[in-house]
Amino acid sequence: MSASWHSLLVRIGEQCPEYGGLADAEDHVETCFGYLARDLAHSEGEILALLMQCVEELPHKDPLYGALVGLINTEDKELVGKVIKRTHAGIQEALDTDNCNKLRILTRFLTVLMCNSVVSPSSLIEFYEALVSSAATTIDEDGGNPTWQARADFYVFCILASLPWGGIELSERVPEDLERVLNGVEAYLNLRKPVMYSALQVFEKSGSRSEDGDDTEMKPMESDDYLQCLWFSIQALMENSWKVDSVPRPHLSFESRLVHAQTHDFDPVSIPETPAVPENATEIMLDRQRQEAERTYPRRNMHLRIFPLSKTDEKITPIDRFVVEEYLLDVLFYLNGCRKECAAYMVGLPVPFRYEYIMAETVFSQLLLPPKPPFRLIYYTVVMVDLCKALPGAFPAVVAGAVRALFQRVAEMDVECRTRLVQWLSHHLSNFQFVWPWEEWAHILELPKWAPERVFAKEVLEKEVRLAYWEKIKDSIASTPKLIKLLPPKNTPVFVYAPDNNTSAPEAEVALATELTSLVRGKKTVREIQVWIDEQILPTQGQQASIQIVAQTLLYIGSKSFTHTITVLEKYCQIFRKIAPDMGTQIAMIDTVSQLWRNSAQMTAIVIDRMMGYRMVSNLAIVAWVFSPQNVQQFHTSDQVWEILRNAINKTNNRTVDLRKEISAAEKVLKLAAAGTVKAHSKWEAAVAALNAAEAKSEDSRNSLSAKVDWAKTVADKAQDEETSAQDSLESKGALLDRALREQEALFLAVYQSFADLLTDRLSKPLPEPQEVSNSLEDAEGEGADVEAPVAMEADEENDEDGTKQRNQKRTTSADPQEEEQWRKCTLGYLRAISRQYCDEVWLLMEKLDSTVFTDKVHPLVTSTTYAGLRRSL
Amino acid sequence: MARLFKNPDQLSAYRDRRFLGSQDEFEHALRTSTTVYVGNLSFYTTEEQIYEVFSRTGELKKIIMGLDKNSKTPCGFCFVLFYTREDTEDAVKYISGTILDDRPIRVDFDWGFQEGRQWGRGRSGGQVRDEYRTDYDPDILNCCYGKLVQKELEVRRQLVEYDQPVGMGGVQYPNLGEGGGGNEFRRGKDRHGNGGNRHREGRKRYRDEDAPPADGVKRQDRELKVEKNPRFREKGDSDEEDGGDGGKS
Repeated sequence: MSASWHSLLVRIGEQCPEYGGLADAEDHVETCFGYLARDLAHSEGEILALLMQCVEELPHKDPLYGALVGLINTEDKELVGKVIKRTHAGIQEALDTDNCNKLRILTRFLTVLMCNSVVSPSSLIEFYEALVSSAATTIDEDGGNPTWQARADFYVFCILASLPWGGIELSERVPEDLERVLNGVEAYLNLRKPVMYSALQVFEKSGSRSEDGDDTEMKPMESDDYLQCLWFSIQALMENSWKVDSVPRPHLSFESRLVHAQTHDFDPVSIPETPAVPENATEIMLDRQRQEAERTYPRRNMHLRIFPLSKTDEKITPIDRFVVEEYLLDVLFYLNGCRKECAAYMVGLPVPFRYEYIMAETVFSQLLLPPKPPFRLIYYTVVMVDLCKALPGAFPAVVAGAVRALFQRVAEMDVECRTRLVQWLSHHLSNFQFVWPWEEWAHILELPKWAPERVFAKEVLEKEVRLAYWEKIKDSIASTPKLIKLLPPKNTPVFVYAPDNNTSAPEAEVALATELTSLVRGKKTVREIQVWIDEQILPTQGQQASIQIVAQTLLYIGSKSFTHTITVLEKYCQIFRKIAPDMGTQIAMIDTVSQLWRNSAQMTAIVIDRMMGYRMVSNLAIVAWVFSPQNVQQFHTSDQVWEILRNAINKTNNRTVDLRKEISAAEKVLKLAAAGTVKAHSKWEAAVAALNAAEAKSEDSRNSLSAKVDWAKTVADKAQDEETSAQDSLESKGALLDRALREQEALFLAVYQSFADLLTDRLSKPLPEPQEVSNSLEDAEGEGADVEAPVAMEADEENDEDGTKQRNQKRTTSADPQEEEQWRKCTLGYLRAISRQYCDEVWLLMEKLDSTVFTDKVHPLVTSTTYAGLRRSL
Repeated sequence: MARLFKNPDQLSAYRDRRFLGSQDEFEHALRTSTTVYVGNLSFYTTEEQIYEVFSRTGELKKIIMGLDKNSKTPCGFCFVLFYTREDTEDAVKYISGTILDDRPIRVDFDWGFQEGRQWGRGRSGGQVRDEYRTDYDPDILNCCYGKLVQKELEVRRQLVEYDQPVGMGGVQYPNLGEGGGGNEFRRGKDRHGNGGNRHREGRKRYRDEDAPPADGVKRQDRELKVEKNPRFREKGDSDEEDGGDGGKS
């Protein structure tokens, strides 16, 4: 019958077959208690383990588990003693290992146990006070270490966050003690520095909802500072005599039985010391420490309001909103990967009001959380799809409403969050037949092509095409045919040397490309082709043209699919490397790739990425190409070059991460091998000793001993060899890591230098006079593909693009002041996002960056934006 | 995380008959593999679409399309190779069951691609599972013969031909006949891009890098294939298994 208590424990409080017709959670507790009582004798260990697991991983049901423990306490005090012991050990472990979620949940559970008369109120208060006093010590300038405020804040948060589960009981049972704790919290809040998330916001400026009447009342809740925010909610809760609708109170039904049980004491825990302030700490060292604290105790959620308050907060109290968010975040965290259960728990929370809008806001706030979401973006995509399926009548409309509302504010949205929203929306729609009311957004065609709304829609469509195919997406916007302008071109390669195409390419080049093609098709060896290139192309065409001829032709041959492409790159690796051996030529090669694949942002990115993987182009060449004049002009109109830059940074970082892992594995191997050598050597020595001792014995036994010595020597030699080779392998990996770290450093220096040079130049120029506005509108007309005449259109577009390029190169800044402003905002936004996203890596190079890049010559906005992204004080 | 509802030992319900080791070895292979098997793909789904979806859980190393052994065209499954185990696990966790080309795709751990596994094992050349379908979904039938697919076939989507083209030459797969050079190319797949022999100890990681005999840039008229090779497969993520479909059995 072990299965039965298992499923009863896990499913407690749910509408499920395990509990048959029982609907009331209280009945579930009673039933479960009955079963457990029967099985406790022989499965105590397993039951305890599962109970603690449920408490931690299904924390929205902690009141039920608490009531269950309360009932057990009326009969088996000893067993409950063990529950408390485990809770204590769990809290201690969470404190020692900085396990935020465990600490928060077990603090809540301890509070629930107090409600069920399992733990004495005074021990709970004692625990709270230990947390507050540690927090107060940490932020004390003398003796503490204020850089670790993130941890102190979190300790205080744990206390406040558990009060919805036991505020009433504490205020009834130990009102003075509770007041003392709250006074301590208030004192702490007055001493600490408020947390500013200026660079970690989704929207540039919040509070644009002044039209809402109750704005003033909600104002404190709009604070970024999560602790301050919770403190306001708790104060409101206190004024409302601690009444919370969203927290079930099953213990009330069992109160008459619970009061007779004996309460347990909860032993004091030892709160870890705050890391000491390093001696002679520089500003950078302190900031770095603060950053480490914030990484260890990260922000869990943010205050993202998407819907009008009438849909979300108006009907419930602030603390109910907080509790529902806690529930949702916990389900998202603990049930990551269990898709069915995750969606089922999210839609079936034990609260007496509807919360679809809050649910959507919570999922979006996780998805858009800067610097990065707790899980991969695709997790939230999947959750959103599952929620739409779980609540088909309600949730899809809510999601659509959220998209509309976010779209309205896309101009103020952080560029990196916008990219995430594009990624999510395109994938989401691909799971729902690409159905979207595009006609609502038709007006964006009247906007210039750099307008954020227009860029957003264009990016969504581009990503949709990647997930499906051009015609399919064209059909999906059939209700608004003119939006076809926003579609990317069909993703065919543009081979300038196609013989039957009357291209502009010189005849000689076409002939060479055609011959190269036939050499490849004729299965000539790489060496033969190399010789032919050296003799036929390079001498007549010069390097730049040769790169274009060779790279275009070979990549075109491999343009059939991703696999075809990487096969060409692999097979002709030497040729690619030889023809573009340095930075300048590699930039030309990247340019050739972007020309061939100008109709496919995806293939451009893939090919450049693979080329970097095969070391045909360096990460520095990619950075230089990204910041080349023709790409700089696209910084605000497309994510394409940024995608390529991100890929290059990620790949560089991955190399160091992988090598670190490999080195730690190699160290283990070496340790084993060394131990093996020692053992084999001692065996050998023993065998030699045995042989020496056997001088007097018969020849036979000497022979056999001597054979043993030989054997032991062979083994020892082999072990020695293994150790040597393990040593070599470790050393070579160490050398590779050194190289990877040098490349990483060079990359970030190049990225920041490029940003600094470019932005310093552009920001110091005055905005252009607002007269040539019409130009950018004209450009907008020419962008995108045309269905009627794709080929003709393509040609037009080329001309148009070239025209734009020429004009842009001439004037280096945009003609339109609004466009120039948008370019500046966007580029600074990407600078901030990159600093934020890679802040761990960048912090390691801070001194170097300060001395080489962020000098007086750099525009102050560049420095302040970078520092904001890094959360570094100015 | 999420240990409550997941049996960590249950890696895959399938046991490939082509795997020659013991059950333990099979499980070990699944537990450490960085390859996933992707099933229930549309025949028309391209590698680039697969790349777009799967790169959302991490950097991809390779995609190997499952091919009909007669027509050398995709037949509804593929293998995706990642660099790290973590990315592989996320692919199984998140992508399985999501929609690609209007079909819920299935993603399972795979014990590791080996040359030959890209071919369908059914008698007709495709996947075995497709030969045993009896429960044709009328929607799909309509979809198959309806204008949707017709348009699809005519306008855009040609089944990518992976045949060795006769007389056209083209790209030779996969052991590039350069003697020791072959190794270097393999090494090239390492995202560290490290050539040379220093990485010999890392061979294991690259053991399954033999590319499928994909080749050719030839496109063929599709009309004939439509008759022979309709998208007959039902929409649901049906798991009934019989002989072994390409990678799984």
